[in-house]
Amino acid sequence: MEQRLANAWRMTVNEKKFIESALVSGLRVDGRNLYDYRKLSINFGKEDGSAEVHLGQTRVMGIATSQLVQPYRDRPNEGTLSIFTEFSPMADPSFEPGRPGEFAVELGRVIDRGLRESRAVDTESLCVLAGKLVWAIRIDLHILDNGGNLVDAANVAALAALSTFRRPECSLGGENGQEVIVHPPEAREPLPLIIHHLPIAVTFAFFSNESTLVVDPTHQEEAVMAGRMTATLNTNGDICAIQKAGGEGVPQSVIMHCLRIAATKAADITVKIRDTVEAYNTERALRKIKRHSAPVALDVSGTVPNVRKNQVKSEDQREVSGSVGTQVEKLKPMNERKNSDQSKDIEGKVVTKSLEQGGTNSKDGNPRSFIGGPSS
Amino acid sequence: MEIDRADGRNPNQLRPLSCSRGVLNRAHGSASWAQGSTQVLAAVYGPKAGTKKNENPEKASVEVIWKPKTGQIGKQEKEYEMVLKRTLQSICILTIHPNTTTSVIVQVVHDDGALLPCAINASCAALVDAGIPLKHLAVAICCCLADSGLVMLDPTKLEEEKMKAFVYLVLPNSILSVLPEESSSVKGEQMEQGLITSVTHGVMSVDDYLHCLERGRAATSKMSDFLRRNLQPQLSSDSSKAG
Repeated sequence: MEQRLANAWRMTVNEKKFIESALVSGLRVDGRNLYDYRKLSINFGKEDGSAEVHLGQTRVMGIATSQLVQPYRDRPNEGTLSIFTEFSPMADPSFEPGRPGEFAVELGRVIDRGLRESRAVDTESLCVLAGKLVWAIRIDLHILDNGGNLVDAANVAALAALSTFRRPECSLGGENGQEVIVHPPEAREPLPLIIHHLPIAVTFAFFSNESTLVVDPTHQEEAVMAGRMTATLNTNGDICAIQKAGGEGVPQSVIMHCLRIAATKAADITVKIRDTVEAYNTERALRKIKRHSAPVALDVSGTVPNVRKNQVKSEDQREVSGSVGTQVEKLKPMNERKNSDQSKDIEGKVVTKSLEQGGTNSKDGNPRSFIGGPSS
Repeated sequence: MEIDRADGRNPNQLRPLSCSRGVLNRAHGSASWAQGSTQVLAAVYGPKAGTKKNENPEKASVEVIWKPKTGQIGKQEKEYEMVLKRTLQSICILTIHPNTTTSVIVQVVHDDGALLPCAINASCAALVDAGIPLKHLAVAICCCLADSGLVMLDPTKLEEEKMKAFVYLVLPNSILSVLPEESSSVKGEQMEQGLITSVTHGVMSVDDYLHCLERGRAATSKMSDFLRRNLQPQLSSDSSKAG
């Protein structure tokens, strides 16, 4: 145990003094303004409900899953939402595997309060059989890289995962309507969650010089700071949660100033999340259309799936039959998004291409081959 | 071709591979490896002082932490950690930094079959990215056996579940020889293609197993070409990872 502490990263006195004196003049080490956020990018995984957020160098992955459970006795008509944070040792050499440390617990609690108590996710719609079965939504947040300000990044990851998550549709059946049948995604389209608003967390760091405060601290600034505050609010002007656990005392006027800044930042981040989620949903709808035509195509000739697959991969991969595909430097999700962007623009041309190749399928009716179009 | 694979590959075809190194900032070495939809992220923290209590302090030791996508750590994860640790210990040169621990952390991003081989490949690339001295690289592959006796490479999750048996094989990477002819009479013991790790699930006959081994060997030579090309030093500037 002591060995691990010995290997932890320590900040030198020089670095500390440099950061503090630069802040007095309003300069940050990475060149940002005091109230600027780092670049935020949200990528989605292959499954519904998995999102990866990059906030500068901080990287967090959020995964949403669901399960049917018995409800709590005092709330028999509501589903549940639980958040699990995993401070992976890969994020920081001082994170240890095993039981979560106090910071991990605090982070989980801040995000939990922001989501649950502000009723951002509609839990009553998650009820299947009152008093017997409800959906329990579980969010796993994996911290992959600690570049500072984990709370904000993890919060965005949780919101992105919830916004793109789809739960299976279920219906009641049986003799007296007490049996629950869960429909697999192929049979019935899974449903999205009802999210009323997006609570965004904005973190401020205070330094020993009273008037200095920054938004979105990096991990070096976090090592130097004297106190921190996280304000969770949404674009409707509600403050969902404020967390200031100890640290340097801060005058009231500064707190009010922070809340005003947080309101503008929350608006920006909300717009960003909504845009990326919408882009993902559009792409998903296009992919769905492609998938529905596949079972039909296979009846007629087995070659069509091959052709489509080759079209999807033709951009920057060449598949050598007999062995191995060559390297692709970008990761897959980027690839698929690129394809869907192209398909939106050139749908007309693509339709004719597929009509030529899927020629034998035309006996199923022209609408089918049209649907196969956007695949390339 | 008797069996139609769902994604249209033939039995000898692997899914498209992709590998990116240096994806994380705090870790000393990191790599993300994807085979089709299966994607694994591995991070390495370089030699830290001290070893755990039950490790031999005369040698370096490797510690593996496996993080599943969701849920708690169970026996399956512990088994993967053990296999990965033993495999990586056999490729690292343990005598260079005695009494140190190198930590390898594996995070599953998506599991669509052949998860352990993907993780081994990712860890190997991450070790190279961190600059840990290795004897040779390890290339891992999964072969599955259908009821008809047909051997297929790199199954997806659905295929793994349907097949009679499957085996994960880890082999050292192929030798790039400067000599024009095969020099099999060289005194190096590691010159021949020894099998590092093999984990089987399900029942298969000895002949089938040897058949899988042969196919796996053929595939790994192509995979090690890919790995070698990918691990060429990147010309773009890599800021030093001190501290």
